[in-house]
Amino acid sequence: MKLNGEQYHDRVTAWLTGFAIFWSLLGMASGVYVAAELVWPTIDFGHEWLSYGRLRNLHTNTVIFGFGISALMATAFYSVQRTCHVPLFAPRLAWFCALGWQAGMLGGGISLLAGWNGGKEYAELEWPFDIAIAVIWISFAIVFFGTIAKRRIQPIYVSNWFYGALIIVVAMLHIVNSLAIPVTWSKSYSLFAGTQDAVVQWWYGHNAVGFLLTGGFLGMLYYFLPKHADRPIWSYRLSIIAFWAFTYSYIWAGPHHLHYNAVPEWVQSLGMVMSLVLLAPSWATLVNGVMTVAGAWEKLRTDPALKFIVLSLAFYGLATFEGPMMAIKSVNVVSHFTDWTIGHVHSGALGWNALITFGTFYFLLPRLVGAELYSTRLANWHFWLALAGVMLYVLAMWGAGVSQGLLWLSLDEIGELSYSFKDIMASMKPYYALRMVAGFTFFAGAVLMAFNLWMTAKGRRIVCIAPPPPVREGA
Amino acid sequence: MIWFLFLGDMLVMAFMAALAVWALWGSSDKAVDQAAGIPLNDERRDG
Repeated sequence: MKLNGEQYHDRVTAWLTGFAIFWSLLGMASGVYVAAELVWPTIDFGHEWLSYGRLRNLHTNTVIFGFGISALMATAFYSVQRTCHVPLFAPRLAWFCALGWQAGMLGGGISLLAGWNGGKEYAELEWPFDIAIAVIWISFAIVFFGTIAKRRIQPIYVSNWFYGALIIVVAMLHIVNSLAIPVTWSKSYSLFAGTQDAVVQWWYGHNAVGFLLTGGFLGMLYYFLPKHADRPIWSYRLSIIAFWAFTYSYIWAGPHHLHYNAVPEWVQSLGMVMSLVLLAPSWATLVNGVMTVAGAWEKLRTDPALKFIVLSLAFYGLATFEGPMMAIKSVNVVSHFTDWTIGHVHSGALGWNALITFGTFYFLLPRLVGAELYSTRLANWHFWLALAGVMLYVLAMWGAGVSQGLLWLSLDEIGELSYSFKDIMASMKPYYALRMVAGFTFFAGAVLMAFNLWMTAKGRRIVCIAPPPPVREGA
Repeated sequence: MIWFLFLGDMLVMAFMAALAVWALWGSSDKAVDQAAGIPLNDERRDG
């Protein structure tokens, strides 16, 4: 029986999940290739499109925007309908949003390989793509907030606050940071210059990390963790406090990317202090997540999806502790411009973002097609490969980064550098080789997941699911 | 600048303190439990 013939629109979620898996494989493969280029620099074979400078941008754009955003759109569309007890608002616009995003990522990826580049990290795509992204993002906002506006239950569940913040803040960051004067179809110049450009860029860059890679995925956590564990979030009040503390603090933290640069001292200090303040909301969420699972530990033995989510929580705690520590200026003097930063980013991106998304996909796809997961054994293999990959990666980059930082700071008795840049880089080869192996291990696990989920969904149709009946007042 | 930063910090703290007070006392246990339970009862599958 269906409620007024209404059904949730889940086909768009299923397609977005498939696209996200495709981008994750492409992004990780290009990441492993650029890691190999740092070990064997000649394997670009003289082709510009295989060069580190172009493939590295393809890697970051496909994993963050292709994989990450597709996964966030999929889970936002899935959860907002259910937490509002209504089907999606404007489902055709949701399809435009989903398919438009894929077209933009495909065109954007090709443009990066062709050498179009705006020169801003994590905002490399040129102005035609910036405009397309803004249009698609606004359509995402209309579908999401339209669904919330027509909800049948009064409370707006906490996951929707995080997804909502993702949509609003990323729109603001993207539009302001992309303001530019186009000179040709493939080239534009930023409206900002010099130090102002750097401040705007890292206001964008760090908050893209904050509201996309942290806030957006916290939306995923707050919906899918209670679903997995089959129990409500441990403290709903704490989740609301964590949301507002997170939103209020994160927006100021960007200047820690500009320590010891030509920005005013007080701006750097403000960035450092607000980064330290961020520890409170981050760990409030960590505590809330761990306590939610606390009564369901036995499920970890049988549910591979929950394993991924619990492990992602551990890496979330690690990365959100390490980040504020690295923002302290006396620590940053060692870590800045070293591979420690790359290790930190990947403990968050692989350990937190990718693992929670994998766990969510293992939960989501079988439910969407009404089937059991094709192979729990393969999912367990994936879990161990992912854990080995991320641990090896982080340890290699910590070793490389701390070595680089300390060697660069080392002076001889007459105050000159003890080691040349060339010597230090030559000593990095074992760490870079280990990073390549780690990346390949993580990628191999993702290939297993793609095969497992493909076999789960193969030949099946999306199950029809309806909202629950309305609750009558006083009932 | 020190006073500017101090004032800003105090405003942040005041906001967070007000929020914590509101979250702890401004909402009933029943309403909070109802909101927390939303993901556990949000779909009906075809028979």
